[in-house]
Amino acid sequence: MQAIQVKQTGGPEAMELVELPVPEPNASEAVVKLTASGVNFIDVYHREGRYKVPLPFTPGQEGAGQVVAVGSDAKSVKIGDSVAWTATLGSYAEYVAVPADRLVPIPPGVTDQQAAAAMLQGMTAHYLAHDTYPLKRGETALVHAAAGGVGSLLVQMAHNIGARVLATVSTEEKAKLARQAGADEIILYSRVDFEAETKRLMDGKGVDVVYDSVGKTTFEKGLNVLRPRGMMALFGGSSGAVPPFDLIQLSQKGSLYVTRPTLGNYIATREELLARSGAVFAMITSGTLKLRIQHTYPLAEAERAHRELEGRKTTGKLLLIP
Amino acid sequence: MHWSFVRKKRRPKDDELGVIETIMKAIRVQHIGGPDVMELAEVPTPQPKASEAVVKVNVAGVNSIDGQFRDGRLRTPLPFIPGQEGAGVVTAVGPQVKALRVGDRVAWSGTLGSYAEYVAAPEEHLVPVPAAISDDQATAAMMHGLTAHYLVTDAHKLKAGETALVHAAAGGVGLMVVQMAHAIGARVIGTASSDDKAQLAREAGADEVIVFTRQDFETEVKRITGSKGVEVVYDGVGRATFEKNLNVMRLRGMLVVYGMSSGAVPPVDPAKLSEKGSLYMARTTLAHFTATREELLARTSALFSMIADGKLKVRIAKKYPLAEAAQAHRDMEARTLAGKLLLVP
Repeated sequence: MQAIQVKQTGGPEAMELVELPVPEPNASEAVVKLTASGVNFIDVYHREGRYKVPLPFTPGQEGAGQVVAVGSDAKSVKIGDSVAWTATLGSYAEYVAVPADRLVPIPPGVTDQQAAAAMLQGMTAHYLAHDTYPLKRGETALVHAAAGGVGSLLVQMAHNIGARVLATVSTEEKAKLARQAGADEIILYSRVDFEAETKRLMDGKGVDVVYDSVGKTTFEKGLNVLRPRGMMALFGGSSGAVPPFDLIQLSQKGSLYVTRPTLGNYIATREELLARSGAVFAMITSGTLKLRIQHTYPLAEAERAHRELEGRKTTGKLLLIP
Repeated sequence: MHWSFVRKKRRPKDDELGVIETIMKAIRVQHIGGPDVMELAEVPTPQPKASEAVVKVNVAGVNSIDGQFRDGRLRTPLPFIPGQEGAGVVTAVGPQVKALRVGDRVAWSGTLGSYAEYVAAPEEHLVPVPAAISDDQATAAMMHGLTAHYLVTDAHKLKAGETALVHAAAGGVGLMVVQMAHAIGARVIGTASSDDKAQLAREAGADEVIVFTRQDFETEVKRITGSKGVEVVYDGVGRATFEKNLNVMRLRGMLVVYGMSSGAVPPVDPAKLSEKGSLYMARTTLAHFTATREELLARTSALFSMIADGKLKVRIAKKYPLAEAAQAHRDMEARTLAGKLLLVP
């Protein structure tokens, strides 16, 4: 089969198209023929070596396709099922072996491309809005990078819950996208200080929750815009890792909460994985959650897909089509 | 602030003529330091400002925060009268006081100057005390009771069937957290420094008690929970317990740090919270959980009901005459006593 392989960590050119044997399922796995593979920042971190994986490896953490083989103990799927997954390495390929209990069925009304696009970002937005800090109608959330992959989905979910959404973005074009997603207020952080602007928009009161995937450049000011007993949900670090911080800040700034969630801990059981993916798929079929698939690339153009992702010119989901 | 009344030999202004300025006994700190910097002094009895009441203090509570003001970890202008809480009877009210009347029984917290025969407190700090509640009980229900109450009802809203780890489970806050958590139907794991204290924690309702002076609490909590970990850790200890706390919480568990009796926790790398299972962490203080008058009264009335109904037992460790404040602080800091320490002016 054709697959992308990284033999040495490095830039986008470290990914090459190679011929590899089609994987065989072990007892608890299923092998899936991919129809779409999602491109994510975590793939870049693996490729660069920022997150370590044994070399050589095939990148890619999410995808969708049809089951073509199942291991002897794999009871949760059968050959021919349409399935999607995330958090399993090796998806930039024609076939991938995935633990069967990590595969979720794709319901009618959801395309493979939508399913591939929704797994990581859609379920991340879902756990943030519904579990990390269960937003309620009338509450206010500040969403950083609101036109980004997770951000634009999170804005939609928060809006659908009935929360007021303050959205930070870097450009007018992204502001428009965030507004379309349902943001009530846009903060162009390249032009205004988001702390001052949030305080102005909130009339001096703080927001209930900050959803922050930016990290280093936004964390401290984020604490300053929370209401007493508000929640900082730090779920990424696109500007760099947040340095160690003094706990006393949390009491001084209002008995604040901080959490640093990751998707894996919110889909830890099969039950929760099915419930969460099912909820996201239901939002897609009902039209309350709109995905923006910006570009599809042939598998061989993985390198270009990474260059465009890292150039931050993209505002929607990128998919590889094997 | 109400430091003016400790000034010596103040000459009454004209508009105060007719006000009988009397002298009272109070503990005074003139420079920060150990327990012995607290001396019994005679100072003018405070007069109420417009929205204040003056209260005759029947009992004053002794809290670790008093030690932090005394030794300078927390700052306040010198000289000062220590003490944040107490219970007593209103003896004078300012012209803008709305509901309180002379003779009302009240309790309070967050009012510096309580180690004295009289204290002037803003009306909004003062909570009416029902007849069924003694002054000792009312005082214990203030900082310790209010803290325990916000911990289990709000900082992490504890539910039946959850497991809570309560550090210093025989301490003033700890004994109340254990009782409330048990009453909610949670499983309670306590830590204590001695077998005697462990026994008290068990009597308060702890299902398991770890004597941390001879058992490693991380190992024990993992054993007791079958490696699943606890839903919440209530921690007033700080530095000594912080790292291990992160290892005994279940996925998405909550660490509430409400005090740091062993010292300040070093800066925390947020990446640790994700590595250890998408954990939550809060550093709370009582003021944010009694920020409005409504919230303060809701909590105190819940506490007074629990005490009156016998559902919450207040343990008074020892009562000292006001003059023995230094000894009370020494005992508090030696951590030998379990329960509430009180001064009697």
